[in-house]
Amino acid sequence: MADEDEGNEYRWETGYEKTWEAIKEDDDGMLEASVAEIVQRAKRKRQAERRPNTRLGMMRHLYIILDCSDAMSDQDLKPTRQLCTAKLLEGFIEEYFDQNPISQMGIIVTRNKRAELVCELAGNVHKHVDIVKQFAQGPCSGEPSLQNSLELALSSLRLLPGHASREVLIIMGSLTTCDPHDINVTIQKLKAEGVRCSVIGLAAEVRVCRQLSKETGGMYSVILDDCHFRDLLLQQVEPPPAARTQDSSLVRMGFPHHNRIGNESGDTTSASNNNPMSFCMCHLDVESKVDSSKLGAAGHLCPQCGSKYCELPVECRSCGLTLVSAPHLARSYHHLFPVDNFQELDAKEIKVSDCFGCRRKFVEFDKHAYKCKACFRIFCLDCDIFVHDTLHSCPGCTSTAKIGVST
Amino acid sequence: MHLIFTEVETSLLVIAVDLHSRQRYLREHPSQLMHVLDSVVTLANMHLMLKTKNKVAIVGCNAARSDFIFCDTDAIQPQPGQSGQSGLARQSDGQYELFAHLETSVKQNIKKFSVDENSSFFDDKDGESLIAGALTMALCYINRMNREKATGEKLNSRLLIVTGCSGGASQHMAYMNVFFTAQKLNIVLDVCSLDYELGLLQQGCDITGGLFLKIPQLQGLLQYLLWVFLPEPPIRKKLVLPPPAKVDYRAACFCHRNLIDIGFVCSICLSIFCKFSPICTTCNTVFKPPGSLLSKKKKKANKNVC
Ligand SMILES: [Zn+2]
Ligand SMILES: [Zn+2]
Ligand SMILES: [Zn+2]
Ligand SMILES: [Zn+2]
Ligand SMILES: [Zn+2]
Ligand SMILES: [Zn+2]
Repeated sequence: MADEDEGNEYRWETGYEKTWEAIKEDDDGMLEASVAEIVQRAKRKRQAERRPNTRLGMMRHLYIILDCSDAMSDQDLKPTRQLCTAKLLEGFIEEYFDQNPISQMGIIVTRNKRAELVCELAGNVHKHVDIVKQFAQGPCSGEPSLQNSLELALSSLRLLPGHASREVLIIMGSLTTCDPHDINVTIQKLKAEGVRCSVIGLAAEVRVCRQLSKETGGMYSVILDDCHFRDLLLQQVEPPPAARTQDSSLVRMGFPHHNRIGNESGDTTSASNNNPMSFCMCHLDVESKVDSSKLGAAGHLCPQCGSKYCELPVECRSCGLTLVSAPHLARSYHHLFPVDNFQELDAKEIKVSDCFGCRRKFVEFDKHAYKCKACFRIFCLDCDIFVHDTLHSCPGCTSTAKIGVST
Repeated sequence: MHLIFTEVETSLLVIAVDLHSRQRYLREHPSQLMHVLDSVVTLANMHLMLKTKNKVAIVGCNAARSDFIFCDTDAIQPQPGQSGQSGLARQSDGQYELFAHLETSVKQNIKKFSVDENSSFFDDKDGESLIAGALTMALCYINRMNREKATGEKLNSRLLIVTGCSGGASQHMAYMNVFFTAQKLNIVLDVCSLDYELGLLQQGCDITGGLFLKIPQLQGLLQYLLWVFLPEPPIRKKLVLPPPAKVDYRAACFCHRNLIDIGFVCSICLSIFCKFSPICTTCNTVFKPPGSLLSKKKKKANKNVC
């Protein structure tokens, strides 16, 4: 019964339904324009659905649980489910860290009824991409164990401080799971700890997955094809509304100086004072092949204990301080202060001749124009999309005294 | 079957010129504005001369507004009755005609800005220049040029700011959005500062791979523009140019605007404070005292050991 009223939640059932019926030739007999318009309408619709001012989990902690069972060697995705998943995950990881810069991610794989932690929670894009590439080469065998994987993720997530968001994303090719005990107990534990579990199914709907995501407030979808798979992954890039159990707090953070050794000849004196043979802490564990280029290279110094790191953000290994750079934080501000949706106007009603952003003249073809509710400037459809998807600042508001100051 | 595919590479340069009358160099010598504008127009012309398909746009800003003072909608105005005057230029491909037109349209359009300065309605004349606004418009414009380019054409776009102002703190977020958008779209941001070392804009240059230069003397502006900012980014590697600025990535606290090494960050809105306070002044969240957090951290550390 519950399944029935959720029947409309898939996008291919609503948003793109029978799009071919909507395609019309324009006056010149061109189809292209109306296809582009359908795509842009869909984008605008997605924007409109985004609710502003919800509390966001900026410091996200996400475990990806990857199915490595027999089912992943299926060839319904090209070339195989495993390779296709790996390829799409690489893109997802880059996008995730781009949009959630001070967040962390961990990876768990499950095969042969076991769960294995292949990457602890960390904030390094390259490391994660490397691990996913290894996963693409690895064997797929046996059955997955959803319960073992979830317990493993939970054992790590429950240690996090209360202000951190806790999330799990499961990519499941198998239609079965081999669990040692009653999985409902695990689901209740996850729910109690505020872990949001989302599932992307590669085959068909599985009851326990729907149950899991419903109980924990996550999303559940089954892919149609690789494009749809990609869309579903990208939906996970946006931070979810913060779970109710999440505490808010002030977190102590360090903003390291950049020490650029060897860039300028005049700088060598200060560099030698600065211990030129210092190793960075992030590459200490790569002992097998000590890369001499890492020795004494430029890095970021922890302001509390002086440890060096190649990359930010990172949690200092010796003193525990979270190290970030100021632009890292600024990159996330647009989630908190999004540009309000523009108001759609009939192009015949507007009094200006060109778009305030890109200076394109409005022509016969334009059916609509878009008005910012704060500065009342008029924009074309392309600028509307660009401002809300990419730029995150309204050109009109930032070009007007007083309004400009607050944005 | 061979498809011979010659890719045409063109370059779009968008210059943002600060026209704020409270810039220090203008307060002392208001006539210097023409000197700066002439230099900028010359740079624009030189850029157009490098390749026939090259494009230029100029955006101006002061404390009241930012607006285009030259763009493609200015460029394609028919000019009846001028054929005798520029008959010689017409024999080429129209590019030379553009030069003269660029200058007249810049002179025409900056009048809008001097009106603001004299208007009694506009009372915040000491406010900061809206450079970030000029940059957002420039990015929308570049975005359109990318959409409208011919198939097979490769358009490299870049931004140059020419300013004698000092600050930018009040538009901090808009600047950051501009920097990250430029980075995403592979747009290089260069800054030619006439007066100050500008920490915020230096970050922008660093993020997008552009050059920051504070010129030693205003008289030589044209030379610096032509030597440093005319060459396209790929060519710059072969030139001896000013060394990259040492960018300060320390954060400014929201409460005092001081630069800090270690600070407190609100887990909800990421506002930065130099001291612990029980409530976030940005998002009004009430915080738990730091003690409870510390004990959790310790627990975690112990777990990791065993
Ligand atoms: Zn390192
Ligand atoms: Zn440290
Ligand atoms: Zn537009
Ligand atoms: Zn606006
Ligand atoms: Zn402060
Ligand atoms: Zn806050």
